[in-house]
Amino acid sequence: MNRMVTVAEMTLRELLRRRGVLALMLLLPLTFYLIRRDAYVGQSVRSLLLGISWAVSTAALFATSAARELEPRLRLAGYRPHHLYLGRMFGLWVAGLVIALPFFLLIAFDAPDLRYGGVAVAMLCCVAVAAPLGILIGALLPRELEGTLLLLTIVTVQMLIDPAGAGAKLTPFWSSREIATWAVDHTDDGYLARGSLHGLAVTVGMVVVVAAVFSLRLRRRRHLRHLPLG
Amino acid sequence: MDIERRGQWLRGVLDLCVLGLLRDRESYGYQLAQALDTAGIGPIQGGTLYPVLLRLQRTGLVTAQWREGTAGPARKYYQITDLGRAALRQGGRDWAAFVTPVTGLLTERAER
Amino acid sequence: MNPDEWLRAFAAELHHRRVRPDDARHVVAEAATHLRDGGGDPAVVFGPPGRYAAAIAESIGAPPPAPAAPGPVRLQARGITKRYGRRTVLRDAGLTVRAGQIAAIVGANGCGKSTFLRICAGLISPDEGEVTVTGRLGYCPQQGGTSDFLLPDEHFVLVGTGQGLARGQARRAGRAAARQLGWDAPGDVLTRHLSGGTRQKLNLTMSTLAEPDVLLLDEPYQGFDRGTYVDFWEQLGRLRDAGRAIVVVTHLLNQLDRVDAVLDLTPAGGTVRDGGAGWGGRA
Repeated sequence: MNRMVTVAEMTLRELLRRRGVLALMLLLPLTFYLIRRDAYVGQSVRSLLLGISWAVSTAALFATSAARELEPRLRLAGYRPHHLYLGRMFGLWVAGLVIALPFFLLIAFDAPDLRYGGVAVAMLCCVAVAAPLGILIGALLPRELEGTLLLLTIVTVQMLIDPAGAGAKLTPFWSSREIATWAVDHTDDGYLARGSLHGLAVTVGMVVVVAAVFSLRLRRRRHLRHLPLG
Repeated sequence: MDIERRGQWLRGVLDLCVLGLLRDRESYGYQLAQALDTAGIGPIQGGTLYPVLLRLQRTGLVTAQWREGTAGPARKYYQITDLGRAALRQGGRDWAAFVTPVTGLLTERAER
Repeated sequence: MNPDEWLRAFAAELHHRRVRPDDARHVVAEAATHLRDGGGDPAVVFGPPGRYAAAIAESIGAPPPAPAAPGPVRLQARGITKRYGRRTVLRDAGLTVRAGQIAAIVGANGCGKSTFLRICAGLISPDEGEVTVTGRLGYCPQQGGTSDFLLPDEHFVLVGTGQGLARGQARRAGRAAARQLGWDAPGDVLTRHLSGGTRQKLNLTMSTLAEPDVLLLDEPYQGFDRGTYVDFWEQLGRLRDAGRAIVVVTHLLNQLDRVDAVLDLTPAGGTVRDGGAGWGGRA
């Protein structure tokens, strides 16, 4: 537990010191929100949620890439794979919530007549899914540029796809969109239920895949035999 | 004479003195110590002399071999090499260049 | 102390200082002759046996005191073969390193030095062969083993926590290990602001902090200045004398006189030859 907390803490410390990245992480959702603000508030909220998703997953991607050479040596220093990926994920979840909080307040003051609980749950889904998604992409693609482009593709597809279409449910952030619809347009509770379930399922699924990838990558190799000092 | 100062001076030139003694004939440790004493440098203990001989040997300025002397037990005889002769010549020049101005300074001060 | 006792004590001191038996015999015989010729108290003529032995050892240029016999095998790699696609990078390479030994892996660029080391560290799998490591394993990558946005102290805490060290302990251990490299780890400078050489010191410090029994180093001295480079090899010497088994990937052949074994991975090679000739007969 101590090991996991230490990894989470160091992930947070690193992130907080990347001032430029932090500023962009705040600026991006804000821009997404403001750009459509004069028209329909629902569209602004949905854009904002996508902005948060994009920002958090990008941060996760960079954190994972930066630790690529560090992790094997931490593994040798006594960490188990789950200390490393879960620690990083917790750190990013906390960072994501910290980023989301001012935007929640912004909406609460700026956009009247919404189901604010729904907005909060939607943000929670964004952050929950974005962290493991970014970690996964960072783990699978060796270079940050490729990972960033892939994330861009995912977010763009998410933005343009018809949310009612059959394929939309396969996109990772469909949950936040569905819950946002419930929060903004006061649709029936089915939206909230479907969205929450989707968010939970995708998060769990992502975490499982991340666990599999890291356990495989940081596994004890069969050719290496460890004998105790005797 | 101040023993400590003499020891310091000796450390700087003892190897050259040994080379000088070996210039004309080979010798062994005890004989070298006696010759140094006779020359007026004073008694040199074995604990000081043999490390110097070993260093000279290691750096190739002298060679050594164990041999039966004319009388008595086998001894380790030291011979100077060509490298040693060159070092001795150079060392002699350096010593003169060093000691002349020192002497000059000291006598000037004494006369004032 | 009579002359015979003194000579016996002197001989023991020479042995203790690892003066070669041949040299020691000559020096003792010479001292005995001198005493026979001139008489006198050996403690006055030569001084205390220990001090005189030290002076002799220094004059002969004996190797520094170190455990003479290498210890038990700590790392054994056998029959390591690695292919990338159709290219065979390593073919049947092997290396055995004992406690108290330094082994160097040398060879041209791209001959698989780092690959071999990473296989030994268990970071990648070979196509064939096996590695046995006894005790704890430490690994220092060529670069990138540090985190730009963390302080040196935070690196120490991160590594130390893996060992179960408390934070204060880890920081102290890290700073102590850094000082061995002649580096005073600053408390408030981010790693990204450290020079390349200093970052490598951090990299290296992290791998020694965990006190591994087997230490694998992948050209860890890039960016080191001359002085640091000397500190680095001295530190390796200390770790060796403390009974660690060390493997260094290197292309600097002039340092080979400090190592006990060499694995040459240049394609025609793949064999171990004995180093250590320059170490005054360390076998």
